Amino acid sequence: MLSAEEAADLIEAIATHQDRAAFASLFRHYAPRVKGFIMRGGADAEAAQEVAQEALIMVWRKAASFDRGRASAATWIFTIARNKRIDLLRRANRPAIETEDWLAVFAPEEEDADTSAMAGQTYTRVKELLGDLSADQLAVVEKAFFEDKTHTAIAEELKLPLGTVKSRIRLALGRLREALEKDES
Amino acid sequence: MSRHPAPEELLLDYAAGALPEGPALAVALHVALDEQSRRMVGRLNAVGGTLIEDQEESSLDEGALAFTLKRLDGLEVEPRRLPAVPRQGFDWALPPLRPYLGTGAGWRRILGKFDEIRLDVPGDFHRVSLLRLDPGCSLPEHRHSGYEYTVVLQGGYTDATGNYGVGDFAVGPGPERHEPIADPGDPCIALIVVERPVVLTGPWGRWLNPLIRRGWI
Repeated sequence: MLSAEEAADLIEAIATHQDRAAFASLFRHYAPRVKGFIMRGGADAEAAQEVAQEALIMVWRKAASFDRGRASAATWIFTIARNKRIDLLRRANRPAIETEDWLAVFAPEEEDADTSAMAGQTYTRVKELLGDLSADQLAVVEKAFFEDKTHTAIAEELKLPLGTVKSRIRLALGRLREALEKDES
Repeated sequence: MSRHPAPEELLLDYAAGALPEGPALAVALHVALDEQSRRMVGRLNAVGGTLIEDQEESSLDEGALAFTLKRLDGLEVEPRRLPAVPRQGFDWALPPLRPYLGTGAGWRRILGKFDEIRLDVPGDFHRVSLLRLDPGCSLPEHRHSGYEYTVVLQGGYTDATGNYGVGDFAVGPGPERHEPIADPGDPCIALIVVERPVVLTGPWGRWLNPLIRRGWI
């Protein structure tokens, strides 16, 4: 296992001295997870492996932009993998502006980092919270993340009224807000 | 002034990476301007991080690491990049918008009533535009045949559903027809993402609607 602190140290080692051993450790931990994650959305093994490799290469290129005060390593790598999935799988053969250039959360530089909530200890809290969601709520959240589906597409697939899906999402997000708000202040 | 945030289900779509490029750009701009929505997207990204961390491993082909390490040769770690500086007169264009505003982009007068910059978003069926409306002026009365997303970047506007200021987000279809009027002060600039062409309902509609459908205006 790799703790949140260790993972953040590895990314910083890449940023400060282009540490290839640190990259290899991150790759061994995260590339198989990213590949598995992408395959859950229906991508084949080859395409998922490409997303995983490209995502980890992006981790190398962008290591200097990582800020452990703002996000955990896993969260940061998730956003990179998500954007790579869009660029490689969804927008295949469609020349467009690289998603990495803009699909990020652009917080003003002077804004205080959301200290603990976005970083290390969040993992345990979010995991607890996901475990506490009802099966219906969890299914909708997982479908969005794994299968890259909008709430409208989820409603169609599950043959549910749009309002039902919206209220499940709002309940789930309300609990997420409650669980994390205290840590953030 | 009350806040008009993007609906939470749209923030989930955005954080999960499920939105087409046009709507994603609208949410990205809203999130850049609205602290509460930004926090929610941060929490949702943390959900994504947790799902990645807990994901069962799917082993890569033998040699994938060696192959990837080789690709790092000559690939510099990029210095922390500051967002591109906006062009003069485009200081309201936040970072997510800047890649779309090349040096050639300029306002075009439409129907003598408002200005538009049509953004080129290849591969997305949405029509993505920046609109600029002088104070007190209104958009021609119209209705929507599909979803419409609006995010205010400068100034503000008022319609039957309320008053919208910088960072506010509106999702259509709203009321049957609507006629937004720009508030006093700076001209109102907003990004509008329309799923399908709008339909003008005023007296000129029957002449202009065929041209709108063809994307000529």
